[in-house]
Amino acid sequence: MAEAIQKKLQAELEKYQQMQKDVSKSMSARHKLETQLTENTIVKDELDLLDSENTVYKLIGPVLVKQDLDEAKATVAKRLEYINGEIQRYETLLKEMERKLDQHREVLSSLQQEYQRAQGRPVGKV
Amino acid sequence: MAVNLTELSLPQLEGLKGQLEQEIEFLTSSIGQLKIAQTKYVEAKESLSVLNKENAGKELLVPLTSSMYVPGALSDVEHVLVDVGTGYYVEKNVEETKEFFKRKIDFLTKQIEKIQPALQEKHAMKQAVLEVMNMKIQQLHSQQTSQAGTAKA
Repeated sequence: MAEAIQKKLQAELEKYQQMQKDVSKSMSARHKLETQLTENTIVKDELDLLDSENTVYKLIGPVLVKQDLDEAKATVAKRLEYINGEIQRYETLLKEMERKLDQHREVLSSLQQEYQRAQGRPVGKV
Repeated sequence: MAVNLTELSLPQLEGLKGQLEQEIEFLTSSIGQLKIAQTKYVEAKESLSVLNKENAGKELLVPLTSSMYVPGALSDVEHVLVDVGTGYYVEKNVEETKEFFKRKIDFLTKQIEKIQPALQEKHAMKQAVLEVMNMKIQQLHSQQTSQAGTAKA
């Protein structure tokens, strides 16, 4: 009896740890996106200050390619839109993960109690 | 955070101290990085002063690598190419570029000013934690010595 519960506990614990790993992975991904967001916002602000007198170049590999100002603005705007969307996506994903993690924690603690009872030890003496 | 420090135990205070130290380190290194970036912009802005009409057409040595230079002539003293980030470069005239650098420097100054109060606050919190820790340790000491005293008597 106790052994079966122990096995289950072990499996659940592993699942829980995996979930924690996933959460921290998503966190760092979101963090990266936020950095990109700041970077692109700065570029957008700069491009907004320009007029048709200024020539814009885009660095592609080792070459600078002349680019239309409006085109550059559109690209950056699109990028910002995409990054914002991704951040939103991660936000909801993380919320969902946190919720699942909370649920899992409860499952774990009840399993732990069950295990201790099965071992005949008084609950809460660990 | 409305926690009375005196109610925490020594290990808890120790943990809090460690956490604060980490935060202080992080903020300090952030400020350091911002300052490095700022210095780069200041240097770039200053080097623009070479681009004036007097120097137009003058000869100069262009570094092809860090150890090899080729002679060249300064043909354009009015336009420079500025990296505005994420792979975009913009051709600007000298005045515009000076403004660009000024904007960047001001921006970084503002960021540093934003972090500074946070850092000071963390410092103050660490100080408070240290004081409470000292107090607790002294209390512990005096308790032990008084116990030893009563045991002897």
